[in-house]
Amino acid sequence: MISLLLAEWRRTVVETIRYPLETISSMMTLFIVFAGLFYGATYVTHSPIGGGRLTTVVVGYAIWMTMMAATGDLGWSIQNEAQNGTLEQVMLVPWSPVTVFLVRAFMAILAFLIPMVVVVVALLIMTRVHLDWQWLALAPFLAALGTAWGLGLAVAAVALLFKRVGQVLNIVQFGLLFVILAPFARFHAVVWHLVSMVVPFNAQVLLLRNLLSHTRGSDWIWWESGINLALIATMGILSFVGASRIARHRGILGHY
Amino acid sequence: MLNVEGLVKQFRIRTGLVDAVRGVSFSVAAGEILAFLGPNGAGKTTTIKMTAGLIHPDGGAVYVDGKNLVTERNAVLGKIGAVLEGSRNLYWRLTVLENLLYWGTMRRVSYRQARSRAFELLDQVGLTDRARSTVQTLSRGMQQKVALCQSLMHHPTVLLLDEPTLGLDFESSEGIKRMVRTLSDSGTAILLTTHQLDVAQELSDRVAMIRGGQLILEGTTKAILEKYSQPMYSIISAIPWPLNLVDTARKVMGNVAQVSPDTLQLIPQDGDTDAIYRLLNALHPHPLLRVERHQADLAEVFQQVMSKGALA
Repeated sequence: MISLLLAEWRRTVVETIRYPLETISSMMTLFIVFAGLFYGATYVTHSPIGGGRLTTVVVGYAIWMTMMAATGDLGWSIQNEAQNGTLEQVMLVPWSPVTVFLVRAFMAILAFLIPMVVVVVALLIMTRVHLDWQWLALAPFLAALGTAWGLGLAVAAVALLFKRVGQVLNIVQFGLLFVILAPFARFHAVVWHLVSMVVPFNAQVLLLRNLLSHTRGSDWIWWESGINLALIATMGILSFVGASRIARHRGILGHY
Repeated sequence: MLNVEGLVKQFRIRTGLVDAVRGVSFSVAAGEILAFLGPNGAGKTTTIKMTAGLIHPDGGAVYVDGKNLVTERNAVLGKIGAVLEGSRNLYWRLTVLENLLYWGTMRRVSYRQARSRAFELLDQVGLTDRARSTVQTLSRGMQQKVALCQSLMHHPTVLLLDEPTLGLDFESSEGIKRMVRTLSDSGTAILLTTHQLDVAQELSDRVAMIRGGQLILEGTTKAILEKYSQPMYSIISAIPWPLNLVDTARKVMGNVAQVSPDTLQLIPQDGDTDAIYRLLNALHPHPLLRVERHQADLAEVFQQVMSKGALA
């Protein structure tokens, strides 16, 4: 397993270092999109976003971008491998495809988090928000990341069968924005508990917000975050394994 | 050693089911090269991909060194190397060495061993000086050599080569062929598919031909070429044959034909081994360039088998 992790880490590092312009442009995009959203919203509503809401906006944005990257990377990876003619070689290595692509996703998110941290620091300076980071918040963040990979595996399953996932990812990305920001917590308690278990990220993001803004929330939300992670990850793994079987059965692994 | 037993594959298309492969069985022993030949759409690539586990067969099984590809997938894949046609097989943005290290470690070779193996292979294909070039900057021939190297990083016992010399210039093609021969000599079982029948003839120990998803001919290359060679002689003159000498030859031997200005062809009666000597006596002392017995090549065998079926 360590050899697999190291192989993917070296590949990721080599590509990041060799093509620094891509990393720099992704950082700039992250920053400019936020600045556009932030100042745009302030201008349109004629009221500055401040206090706790600003923390929510910065954290929400960082989470949304990270989850979008984590969700999209697996699908893009499959599409690019098929397009470049290396997907079949990847399927020939003596590791299960789920393991290989999850390790890739892990490495990709590590490479993504480096510019993301730089951007978040820049955002905090720009918006003058003081983020009181708590290490406990790492738990819902990791749960959300696992959920994103589960969702990413489902997108990758679509990519294995149809190869072109651009449109699917567009839908998923805006769907993510909706589920992260939608106030499901205002629903009736029973409905909210059910929704938070099924809809990805909502419970985890709420938990993260609560922890960062020192708001005391229900203890149930921890359980719901975990159940949500287990549910979406299982769904992702099953759909990827199923799609891999179908692609091999139809003989379309190498097609593009 | 590779054993393929009764592979069956159907594909669903708009008009219904198509039999792509129908009960194909063969084996490739250690150190042997099997040329797997057939026209486009005969089922070659489907068979080779089923052998690599990239396509699930509807029936049949693949064994490598006695291990089943389905039940012991990772163990079997650890023994298989493949260079697939129509695929790049490499990451173009990585260097040659980075590619070899990546694919080697992905196949459970330690980093240190992968490094020494990479340089050993690059030395064999004469690309040591390009180790730090990105793959996208290499010529097609060099890329194919690197693709072959990446498939060998884990010392596979079975190598699957799908059109390894397609589109390569003479020198690159010779380099790949040399490498394939070396691998075979060192005990690797090689399954080779190609449309270049001269390459297949030059490299293979055995030949299997497939048509419509079924094997229609299998045997050692030598025996097949012998079987399809005809008891026919060509007598080639240094200068065009004079008409009066052709007439004389025809009077002595009825079954002589002039097939070109400088070539006479003799088809002796069954068992008449003396016929060629009688004809040569009749032609004495005309200056001859050479006398040759017909020797079929794989292209002739292929054409005959595909159009008329295999000889009994």
